[in-house]
Amino acid sequence: MNSKEIMGIVSDWRVAILLILVVLSIIAIYPHFDEQGHPASNLQYGLDLQQGSWIQLEFNAEVVGFTTDKQTEEFVTDLSKWLDTEVSLVDATHVEIRKSYTKEALDPVFADAGGKITSYAPGVSKATAEDVKRILENKINQIGTKDAKVQTLTGMNNVARYVRVELAGVDMKQAQELVGKQGKFEIRVMTVGNSSEHVLFGDSITSVQMPSQSPPGSDKWGVSFTLSEAGATAFQDAAIKYGATKDPANHYLNMLLDNKTVYSAPLSDDLARQLNTVKTRQLYASTGTGKAGSTAATNLEIHLRAGALPVGVTIAGSGGVSAPLGERYKLMALLAGIFALITVGFVIYYRYREPGIVLPMVLINASEILILLGFISLIKFQMDLPTIAGLIAVLGTGIDQLVVITDEILHEGKVPSPGVYVKRLSRALSIIVTAAATVFIAMLPLALMDLSTLKGFAIITILGVLVGVIITRPAYGKVIMEILSK
Amino acid sequence: MSMIMGLINYNIEKYTPQQLVVIPLALLVISIILLSLNMVTTGMPVKPGIDFSGGTAVTLDTADTADQLRATFAAYPLTDVSEGVNNGKFLKFGAMDDAKFRSLTDLISQKYPDAKIDQIGETFGKTLQEQAVIAIIFSFIGMAIVIYLSFRTFVPATAVVVSAFADMVMTAATMNIIGIPLTLGTTAALLMLIGYSVDSDILLTNRVLKRQGKLVDKLKGAFDTGIIMTSTTFAAVTAMLIVSWIGSVQILIEISAVLLIGLVFDVLNTWLTNAALLKWYVQKEGGK
Repeated sequence: MNSKEIMGIVSDWRVAILLILVVLSIIAIYPHFDEQGHPASNLQYGLDLQQGSWIQLEFNAEVVGFTTDKQTEEFVTDLSKWLDTEVSLVDATHVEIRKSYTKEALDPVFADAGGKITSYAPGVSKATAEDVKRILENKINQIGTKDAKVQTLTGMNNVARYVRVELAGVDMKQAQELVGKQGKFEIRVMTVGNSSEHVLFGDSITSVQMPSQSPPGSDKWGVSFTLSEAGATAFQDAAIKYGATKDPANHYLNMLLDNKTVYSAPLSDDLARQLNTVKTRQLYASTGTGKAGSTAATNLEIHLRAGALPVGVTIAGSGGVSAPLGERYKLMALLAGIFALITVGFVIYYRYREPGIVLPMVLINASEILILLGFISLIKFQMDLPTIAGLIAVLGTGIDQLVVITDEILHEGKVPSPGVYVKRLSRALSIIVTAAATVFIAMLPLALMDLSTLKGFAIITILGVLVGVIITRPAYGKVIMEILSK
Repeated sequence: MSMIMGLINYNIEKYTPQQLVVIPLALLVISIILLSLNMVTTGMPVKPGIDFSGGTAVTLDTADTADQLRATFAAYPLTDVSEGVNNGKFLKFGAMDDAKFRSLTDLISQKYPDAKIDQIGETFGKTLQEQAVIAIIFSFIGMAIVIYLSFRTFVPATAVVVSAFADMVMTAATMNIIGIPLTLGTTAALLMLIGYSVDSDILLTNRVLKRQGKLVDKLKGAFDTGIIMTSTTFAAVTAMLIVSWIGSVQILIEISAVLLIGLVFDVLNTWLTNAALLKWYVQKEGGK
């Protein structure tokens, strides 16, 4: 083949697109050597290909749909009293119950409270799930792991049943401790100069509300929290004893988490006056205005909880891979890919015995994997073992479809005229498109569902099918035409 | 029946469609009986692995023998020890409470710091299982819709769907016989089979219905192409099986084993079941 013919193939737009994508993919994957001289790339690895651990927590709570003839607020309060647990309204017809109950156990309680259950789903509302996610992320940030992922798995009914934490570079023991750990929360009052005195610990805080505006609808943010009876007494006593009620400006109240100050503010004049005579269980810590105030309030809420989750959880599943095993799996995955490509090449050679056909086939096949890897790097998708299996399957079926094109075009006579060629190619493509559509549809449920690790596998398989049908098959059709018509 | 590519001359001219479907039909019936028996005795057509039944799986590299491992983990509900090559060991534990599990992870991280641990709680397993069943059903229905829409003729489309169904059922039955459990990985493999097993069926149907020429030639041409297609996938998956076997990568071993089994049945169902139904359809149409 001379250079003019090569230019002819390359300048065909289908082939040109393929080549451009291959180059872009290599840039996206960016294979290089890191500072220590180890091979590195932009590819991201999931938890079975590198050291790390995962924990999946199940919420001990349920979201229940209801109808009632009573006032909704009254109904919810009643439920909360009867069940002796936190019950909050998700929307007009759903409540979240923060304790595990079966539907059968709840039925009579709802009936007694004057209502009826219309739906039952174990889990928490989206808002609570986001809350949990924030708290967990906050805890993880404290240990400063570089690569952590917290994911709430929300079903189609908007109820989250699980939250999954993935921590790269952290072993299982550490991960279990981290998720279970609570911080030490303390309120202290400033006395003289820089000295301060203990007021109460986090165990005196009985509940913490979500950030809110005070007055409602304003731009002033803060967090309400409730003290126990004993806590309220301790708070009043300390405020009076150390002069915070008489001179609030010189006796700030400090909140500390694990001995680090996370909030510091004076008593408001109103509260200072009130504390002189009566104790109060309900406190409100204001954090400022606007976006900054709202963010500060969110953080304060987490600190007030001292890392405790607003809802009980049990470990639904967990796992971990050690560094050497992760490395070995990575190596095995690479070997499997290369070995698969080589054996596929041999099978193709056995069939066609013509390097002019076999070489483009294998190259196109490899380019397909390369484009997929490039895309994976670009979207920072974490590759795991099922994804590798998906990639190798893409390799196997990708070459299948190249065989369909080749055989269809070669059918009865080697050198087809352009008209016949187009007809045969389109017949081959119709077979391929139907086959691709079935794979696409077969994988779609997995890609849409949260079936743990299989989501990635399904997405990669679907992407592989799309890359094949849209990019590499048309390009191959052009290349094989040029080669055969020589 | 030997299926060595290039060496076999695929010629089903002398057989009637009824004769062709005898073998696959018998296998299908046996498979369905096996799956039903399992369903009756265990409640699941295929034995669920820990992903679905709940439990703990541990992968570790050690020269310790199975008996030594049983002694080490005597205090825990160890249910199964299997050995791979290169000292790879796979341990399975039954359900444990949180405290027990924590002490197990402590023990493992102390004695075998390089182990891989996967623990799935019973309720979580059940959730996964329900979702896996839904995924398989939806996949199959979706595939059938695509096939019916694309062929728009009842008998050929049904032939493809029936072949895919037979693939899955026979593969599932074989998994039971050789003891591959249904896990997330093997579910993925079964779903992959739904998509891939129709490849050669679509090729066959397309060639027979849309090309001119004698039926026997079209069947032979389709077979020559189709068997290469299956061989390439077979080669790629075999490569994956061998490498993952040597490297003791359990999930890849299971996925590739199921795919290989499925591909063998795919050859059978495409070139006997589907071909027979197509032959019957073409002869009936031609006889009008």
